Amino acid sequence: MSKLDETDIQGFVLRGYNLPFARYMFLEISHHERGQEFIGRLLDLITTGEHWDEGKPQSTVNIAFTHRGLIKLNLPDASLLSFPVEFLQGMKARGEILYDKGKSGSGNWDEVWQGRRVHAWLGVNATSPEALNAQCKQLQDLMTQTGGASVVGSQDAAALKIDGKWTSKEHFGYTDGFGNPDFQGVERHVRPGQGKLTKDGGWAPLATGELLLDYPDEAGELPVAPIPHLLARNGTFMVYRKLHQNVATFRRYLDEKAKLYPGGKEKLASKFIGRWRDGTPVELSPDRPDPAIVNDKARNVNFTFGKDPNGARCPIGAHLRRVNPRDAFGFNGQLINRRRITRRGLPYGPYIPEDQPVRDQDEHGVIFIVLNASLSRQFEFVQQQWIEYGNDSKLGNEKDILLGNHGGEDGQNQSDRALIQGTEDPSNPPFMCGGLPNFVELRGGDYFFLPSMTALRMIASGTIDPR
Amino acid sequence: MPNQSGNVYGLTILSPIIHDHKVDISHNCAIRTYLAELARRRKELQDPGPFATLSSTHIARLVVMDDVVYVGMPACEEHLKSPYLVFESNFDGDLDTYLDRMARDIPEAVDSVWSHCVGYPGLQDVARFKQYMKRCQLTTTFYFADVNDKTVQQTLRALQMQNALADFIEKNQGKPPAELQKAFAIFLNTQRPEPRPGMPGIGGMPCIETKMEWHSQ
Repeated sequence: MSKLDETDIQGFVLRGYNLPFARYMFLEISHHERGQEFIGRLLDLITTGEHWDEGKPQSTVNIAFTHRGLIKLNLPDASLLSFPVEFLQGMKARGEILYDKGKSGSGNWDEVWQGRRVHAWLGVNATSPEALNAQCKQLQDLMTQTGGASVVGSQDAAALKIDGKWTSKEHFGYTDGFGNPDFQGVERHVRPGQGKLTKDGGWAPLATGELLLDYPDEAGELPVAPIPHLLARNGTFMVYRKLHQNVATFRRYLDEKAKLYPGGKEKLASKFIGRWRDGTPVELSPDRPDPAIVNDKARNVNFTFGKDPNGARCPIGAHLRRVNPRDAFGFNGQLINRRRITRRGLPYGPYIPEDQPVRDQDEHGVIFIVLNASLSRQFEFVQQQWIEYGNDSKLGNEKDILLGNHGGEDGQNQSDRALIQGTEDPSNPPFMCGGLPNFVELRGGDYFFLPSMTALRMIASGTIDPR
Repeated sequence: MPNQSGNVYGLTILSPIIHDHKVDISHNCAIRTYLAELARRRKELQDPGPFATLSSTHIARLVVMDDVVYVGMPACEEHLKSPYLVFESNFDGDLDTYLDRMARDIPEAVDSVWSHCVGYPGLQDVARFKQYMKRCQLTTTFYFADVNDKTVQQTLRALQMQNALADFIEKNQGKPPAELQKAFAIFLNTQRPEPRPGMPGIGGMPCIETKMEWHSQ
């Protein structure tokens, strides 16, 4: 595998920018010629994967389209019909598969998702609110000048500032953002624990085709992609999900259950996710948080579950074990190599300290963004089988404790429970988490196609030729 | 051992479907229509279907196989001589008992499916029906993935027990040992199976001492 052409790939795909502020604008494209002109003039502003030799820029810009957006931009029918069916349908229509029902059902989504007006996602990340506003103003001016697009909705997101410091925490207090997979050809230091397991117990990058279109994937196949191949190559599919967090419910539930759990509140919280709230993997340090591990990039994602088959250290249903079972299903982890996703995104809403009163209904949550070559094989599979179901882990119909839709079809179900495995050690007993409420609820989102720079040029110039 | 894995029998039957150019509806279409109706009744009326009434069935599957398609070089192209009905069932016990029960308990379903198959003798003479089915039998070496060496009833009972125990833990975890033990004794009492003739040790025995041995029987 040779190196990738980073300057043809949108930077958002190749790296997490690690900039604290973001605004995700949702665009409606009114007319294809003016829309094409807008995209043409946008090209110079888009952040590619080019190297940042002079340090990080003040802000970044990236764009992706829904299928409706591509229709609006007048792509040829033969190209439009060649996209995978789940992208054609969009996320709302896939609710049955994703279990986006009850309180997470599309009827309860934010206003912007109620119609069919979201044609494009325009993502801006920035170092400061000033830089963010300046970049967004420039983009707004471009939309006004060309008349090619208008903003129908906008979502601000930002890293959480706790005790005056920027953190990578989310609203439940967990340190987030560990462990995106490594891919062949992506120039990055390969970290042990990030890619796929090899037969000798080492780690190797995943096939490029698990992230980018028009490259072989882990099965040696090319992922289903639109024609012509230049439209697909170096592009990917993006999932956008606004996940509202019921912070008050989470804190109340944790306090309540911790009274019965001899290991204490923080240990119980660590068992939900598989990391202590400071980020220490419980598989590596089951009894206490260990900042030395968290801060060591060679260790903080470098673990397996083979020696913990019964979940005594990391529970079988802990979030990080569910969504990335590593070697837990045997066969050197080969069963999971086609189910890996790359995550982006940031929290939204202000952080409320643990000792302050907090309400569920306030605006706080996570903008969860997934990048993958196949929406159905990667994101949808993980969501359906590993978040909302437990059979692969021999957990029957148990769901992910924090992300599962426990309210069910009508939002009223209160019978979900999950077992936290333990040992005979009195401070690490098995524990039943019953009466699980919805800690997280979906407030909207969609599936997007995130094209390469070449493809964006073709879209802008109307020169896509699928023949 | 082929066809038998512990208590579970793996049955594979391939019955050629009648080809008749004079009928209004082709026989394989008629089978498919009947199977689609079973699926509809299951979805709309929660009717679990005929094989659910045979309580020893773990899983049963009926498929119409038109032909085999070899994906590869044309040199390996092969075809079936006719379309086949594929019947797969994993059940507890032996084949004769199961075929007897099919004939006795779900005759309409059996007739509706196999009357479209070559050589089906009907159910008037059960011995002939069984002979026919055995002639169509293929050796089975692979089983439904979730089948272990437990019967359907043992599996259902174990799931019920797991659920009840989870309930118990949820309600009682964290209680002081003496209280917990008392609650557990009561719980065990509620989980006692019905006394059965010939089952030693269960009848009047204090439950706390049974150590749930019945569970694995």
